Amino acid sequence: MIEITVWCTGVIQDKEGRDVCLVLTEAAFNEGKFTQAFDNYVDLPDRINVQVRKYARISDTVIENVFEYENHKPNIIGVTEATIMKGINVCYGIQPGSVLVINTTKDPEELLKYVPAKQKKNLKAVATIDALGIAPEQLIDYSGSEGAEDASAIGGGLGAAMAGAIAAVSGLVKKESVLAAAANRTAAKRGYDEVKIKQL
Amino acid sequence: MKTRFKKYTVEIPEEMAIPFAGIVESPKPNGEQPMMLTGGWRIYRPVIDSEKCVMCKSCVLACPDATVLLVDGGNKIGFNLDYCKGCGLCTWVCPVNAIDRVPELDFEDGVPFQDALFLLPHVEALYAD
Ligand code: SF4
Ligand code: SF4
Repeated sequence: MIEITVWCTGVIQDKEGRDVCLVLTEAAFNEGKFTQAFDNYVDLPDRINVQVRKYARISDTVIENVFEYENHKPNIIGVTEATIMKGINVCYGIQPGSVLVINTTKDPEELLKYVPAKQKKNLKAVATIDALGIAPEQLIDYSGSEGAEDASAIGGGLGAAMAGAIAAVSGLVKKESVLAAAANRTAAKRGYDEVKIKQL
Repeated sequence: MKTRFKKYTVEIPEEMAIPFAGIVESPKPNGEQPMMLTGGWRIYRPVIDSEKCVMCKSCVLACPDATVLLVDGGNKIGFNLDYCKGCGLCTWVCPVNAIDRVPELDFEDGVPFQDALFLLPHVEALYAD
């Protein structure tokens, strides 16, 4: 099972962070995988700019863990706002061979300094993508995350570019699957194509 | 229980090791609450131009986190960057535009780095290698 944790800023990126998870799980589901996507109760209630996490699980077999709303041993870390990394160890708990994908205009090397040595040795690759540049629309979602209906399309903004980038770096799902799952197909494609990857 | 921040030597009692959004005891009699550091929320840092500042103190009143400080014997404006969450209100209220907002990643220092998550001991065990 692959566990994905996406760090994003509360309220401002609540939907975009969630969309990263939803686009990836939708793509994997359509490839015949078993999936889960969920928010974290621990981080709620979120407030503007507080660091929050969104989660996804993708597996070839039935996922039996249905009661834990937190990924303790993630394999993929997404960060939708790079500044979060300055204040918190986003890679806490990662498994050997993990990948880190960050939304920023900077190069991957520049952000590695925020990953402590203990977690850095478990990283296989770090990648950056200018997701905000590709898709500047961030839908601000005041309805919160607790089961509220999401009337807008999934993957319309920067979340689509992030999902595309994560697919490219991790090889988790096929390019066509991500493109088909995201409402903003162009953003997902550009995310997939324009991601800057540094293998470690 | 182990200390969470390099800069602070906080001994967190086990029953207090709760997630960020939880409720913690107020600092007594008043002071800082290092279990609730909000500096990590900041994306834009307020930077003061003391030449422009006319010491009207509007920013001191406006800051929701009381992180605009009177420094230098009350003659200058400073910031408590461990807690400033970068909301930009001080910039907004300043009548002479003396407070700039600069991307936090342009600076090396200023944010206390949290190298482990706040976790209850039994949850912490789930994260362990
Ligand atoms: S940015 Fe907001 S929190 Fe920071 S000092 Fe200004 S008013 Fe206070
Ligand atoms: S609001 Fe502007 S002019 Fe007034 S004290 Fe603050 S920085 Fe100085």
